[in-house]
Amino acid sequence: MIFGWIRLAVIGFVLLTVVYLLVSVYSRSVRREKLEKRFDAGGVEGTRDAYIDAGMTRYRGSLRRRLILLVYIIPVLTTVVTIYFVNY
Amino acid sequence: MWTRIKWVIRIVLILAVAGFLHYTLPQTDIVRITRTYNQVTPVGSNWMFYSMGDVGTGVEASNSRDIRFIDAVFPDGSSVQVYRNEDTGWIWPPYFKYDSSNLQAEATNYASTSAAPQWVAVTHYGWRLAIFSIYPNAVATTPVAGPDVRIVPWVSIIILLVLAFVVFMLRRMWLQFWERTIDPVVADAGEAWDAMDARADAMRDGAKGAVGRAGAWLNTWRSPRK
Repeated sequence: MIFGWIRLAVIGFVLLTVVYLLVSVYSRSVRREKLEKRFDAGGVEGTRDAYIDAGMTRYRGSLRRRLILLVYIIPVLTTVVTIYFVNY
Repeated sequence: MWTRIKWVIRIVLILAVAGFLHYTLPQTDIVRITRTYNQVTPVGSNWMFYSMGDVGTGVEASNSRDIRFIDAVFPDGSSVQVYRNEDTGWIWPPYFKYDSSNLQAEATNYASTSAAPQWVAVTHYGWRLAIFSIYPNAVATTPVAGPDVRIVPWVSIIILLVLAFVVFMLRRMWLQFWERTIDPVVADAGEAWDAMDARADAMRDGAKGAVGRAGAWLNTWRSPRK
């Protein structure tokens, strides 16, 4: 049983890491596209690259980026809740 | 022709996914339990429909296991159901059930006669297919007031909604990937080749949707249409 549990943890961690990476790449890409469109719409001072770089730096510290960690948290909570309701 | 092949592939995929979900998601029967017992059961080529081999009833090394069963009868009094009662192990299906002994004791406790029926909601997953000797796996038993109790499958509803959201997000991510990563490359290549060859144009025009892209790629191997 312990072996099965460890195997689940390892496989789950690997799979969720893949999901985490995919979601981060997607989220970053969406943010960059939004910044590009906002600059191209006009009315922004400075160069395009500087505007986008500043926006991406702000994104790196943002709550939205940290929320991607829910990719790990939600499945673990779901598993614990399932174990509780099925067995207790 | 291509349209027809696409539809056949789509229908087969949809049926496979629907069958898989129907097998795996929990369902609830209202039944009267008539008997609970253990039976040494051969598990051969139908192993896929039993728990994985490491769930610890002790005899998995041989081709048969001692499996707990629960006999039950539906409210109509004649159609019956046989549930197996096995731990699920830790990978698939993800029920993480390890209380089979307790469940068997509960089921035995709820067993009743047709004279004094005790109706029980048995939550289970899986199919009873006699031809393959496979049984649904009981997950929980709950006594209910009568045979007409209605049970809303909240768990299945939530899981299906989450799955729909995941598919939606995967599609968005895929489209974003194409828009930001592949299309610019294709566009560059197209501009460079435009003067030389009209085929790049045809490829870009045909490259709508994932299947269209595959088709457009196939088209690049054909001789140019005259």
